[in-house]
Amino acid sequence: MNRHYASPKGYAAYPRGDSTFSLSPNKFQPRSQPALRRRRQLFQRLILLGGISLLLVIFIFPSWRAAILPTLSLGLFHGTEDLQLQTVRYYDLSEVEGTEKGWERGERVLMLTPLRDASSHLPMFFSHLRNLTYPHNLIDLAFLVSDSRDDTLNMLSRMLTEVQNNSDPTMAFGEISVIQKDFGQKVQQDVESRHGFEAQASRRKLMAQARNWLLSATLRPTHSWVYWRDADVETAPFTIIEDLMRHNKDVTVPNVWRPLPDWLGGEQPYDLNSWQESETALALADTLDEDAVIVEGYAEYATWRPHLAYLRDPYGDPDMEMELDGIGGVSILAKARVFRAGVHFPAFSFEKHAETEGFGKMAKRMKFSVIGLPHYTIWHLYEPSVDDLRHMEEMEMERQAREQEERERELAEQKEASQFKFGNTHKLNDEFKGSDKGPAAQPVKEAGKGSSFQ
Amino acid sequence: MAVARSMRRASPISLMLAALLAFGFICFMLSPSAPSASASAVTSHQRQQDAADHPLSPPTKPFLKSQPVRSDGYMAAPPVVHYNLNNLTSTSTAIANGERILILTPLARFYQGYWDNLEKLSYPHELISLGFISPKTKDGNAAVAALEKAISKTQSGPIDDRFASISILRQDFEPPLTSQDEKVRHKLSAQKERRESMSRARNSLLFTTLGPSTSWVLWLDGDIVETPASLIQDLTSHAEPVIVPNCFQRYYDSSSKKSAVRPYDYNSWIDSEQAQELAANMGPDDILLEGYEELPTYRTLMAYLPDFQALDPQRMVALDGVGGTALMVKADVHRDGAMFPAFPFYHLVETEGFARMAKRLGYAVFGLPDYFIYHYNE
Repeated sequence: MNRHYASPKGYAAYPRGDSTFSLSPNKFQPRSQPALRRRRQLFQRLILLGGISLLLVIFIFPSWRAAILPTLSLGLFHGTEDLQLQTVRYYDLSEVEGTEKGWERGERVLMLTPLRDASSHLPMFFSHLRNLTYPHNLIDLAFLVSDSRDDTLNMLSRMLTEVQNNSDPTMAFGEISVIQKDFGQKVQQDVESRHGFEAQASRRKLMAQARNWLLSATLRPTHSWVYWRDADVETAPFTIIEDLMRHNKDVTVPNVWRPLPDWLGGEQPYDLNSWQESETALALADTLDEDAVIVEGYAEYATWRPHLAYLRDPYGDPDMEMELDGIGGVSILAKARVFRAGVHFPAFSFEKHAETEGFGKMAKRMKFSVIGLPHYTIWHLYEPSVDDLRHMEEMEMERQAREQEERERELAEQKEASQFKFGNTHKLNDEFKGSDKGPAAQPVKEAGKGSSFQ
Repeated sequence: MAVARSMRRASPISLMLAALLAFGFICFMLSPSAPSASASAVTSHQRQQDAADHPLSPPTKPFLKSQPVRSDGYMAAPPVVHYNLNNLTSTSTAIANGERILILTPLARFYQGYWDNLEKLSYPHELISLGFISPKTKDGNAAVAALEKAISKTQSGPIDDRFASISILRQDFEPPLTSQDEKVRHKLSAQKERRESMSRARNSLLFTTLGPSTSWVLWLDGDIVETPASLIQDLTSHAEPVIVPNCFQRYYDSSSKKSAVRPYDYNSWIDSEQAQELAANMGPDDILLEGYEELPTYRTLMAYLPDFQALDPQRMVALDGVGGTALMVKADVHRDGAMFPAFPFYHLVETEGFARMAKRLGYAVFGLPDYFIYHYNE
């Protein structure tokens, strides 16, 4: 019973010899070479054809892609590769409360700008944007373009794309959203009608609505700060976000002035919406009906409130703070948690105020700190009103008349002088000319004044 | 061998025929004869189209996992994204218009019944985004852990059942929403604090997740365990700015020995003169609450309005205050600024204050007394 004694008679794994059903590999006949080659060619052609037809299908019907890919892979990768989409996001809001040194902690800032027929301001606005010292990748930009009849939208997208594709990667900003929404504003946006008392209440309610739409569509759980900035700011420090952030208050606004031609006093407080509440105003509010809106800066409502704008001292400490109740919207830095708590720009009469003033009121109501910096000033663009333009024209004519007069006097003097000596007269002439040029060059000089503040 | 021989003789014509056959075969494989496969193909295509390119994008959108890189090796900057909100609609034909809906839930505790009910909603899931907010407490951690488990199961399941996107938010609340005990929770003295804290939670959730493409916001509490599957279609079909169904609770009636229903949410009401008088005599920081003996308001409560003899789920009544257990709001109402006041607003807070603010903004508020949803029974 020796199992290992396998082939004494020449037994092998294959039956050999006279077996009819021989499977012996010895009898295998190799196929001729040309045939094999031809078949390989055929297979190649078939595969090629199949591949091309498949590609065609994929290209002709893009919607089939999602169907074809899993079919080809026999559903093996179904769970993982099908969509390549991240659908679940997790955020911890206690990590984005906002601190005084946000740029060191990588806190994201949402910068919001409502735009309307603003194409003329955009180049200036973008130069401010490029110069911001806060890390650009931490700033998310959002714009609301509403009821614009000019080229604001196209110009904006072109300039934004340019910024994002800048060869210097530190210039590019974070998320950029351009929101289009028309509110059907009937009120004209030019300076005259914009500041008319009658139009104020309804105009400000519409502005509030626009601000709320912009904010609610773009505020993300990643934001620690929200910075509202109007496009028509002419001069502001590049470090403005950090400067306002350092105060570590819930809502912070700078003082807003505007440069004026010398004949109008050289400069002027611009934003009168930043104020402290007064007894007079509270008493006035009680007498008004539910939908009335108190607007500052008009004789119709004498409120006797202390205004941030009037408290400015050009040589004062820029870090000085002042508690406020109503604020203006030219430049607001607020912690995102203020907006998360529900504070918004009331598009209805909230404690007799709307928009940014109502925002200040509501923030106070929810016990957030609201401050203004009386000696830290940014400069709003000066747009001459119709009256100003007329006045400027008159001034120009007066100036020309005066110059004419002076020239005549000079001639007379020259005649007189020639009777004595030559030396001194030329010097005198030069001095006269210098002071004449002053008023003509005024607006430019004013702009320079603003920037010297930095 | 026979096959090989025939192929050896293959002419270009037969090759063409073979290719055609293969093509036809593929067409057949992918044709709409298999409804489930093609439906998910369509929705996954739509999902791809809807997705944002960059992680910095509205949380109501999913985003592509792979990110482009610049030629110089830096990550590409986020793109400039345009949103035209003029084209955003919220109409009675929500599905046909592809209107996106955001379901928001303040989550104190996770109930499997809530999630199962959510999964059963028949509105196209690729149009539904979810948002949750949960306190950073022990209970909150447990709730979020359970929620994440349920989410990972659904989001890796059949494509058609997956939701478009889900955001989970955590926040510290002052004062913390710790005691969720039924008795403590409903004590009058604790109510004001609790509801102001709840308002902050709702506002945080709303204003960080409301995206530029959301048409409707559905507030759905985490303890709502039963609604009709067509809840979203039914509530949007009225196309009203704010609409609220009637929230009831199932219980076992030990006297009649069978299960029955009873009203649960008393915050949906029509105002009364008595309540307005009460409010007029209150201090500026006092609030009016419903369902407490100390404050007899004599308001008409929607909870008592259903006519069980002749139920008409379409019947609408105009309301002055709403509850938040289930609340359908046009996103525009929130965008205009209507939020949940965390301070006494006309002596009202939270959802009741929200109704008041919506009315101040010129929107109408309605309730459906004969349309029921059911609260979990503790």
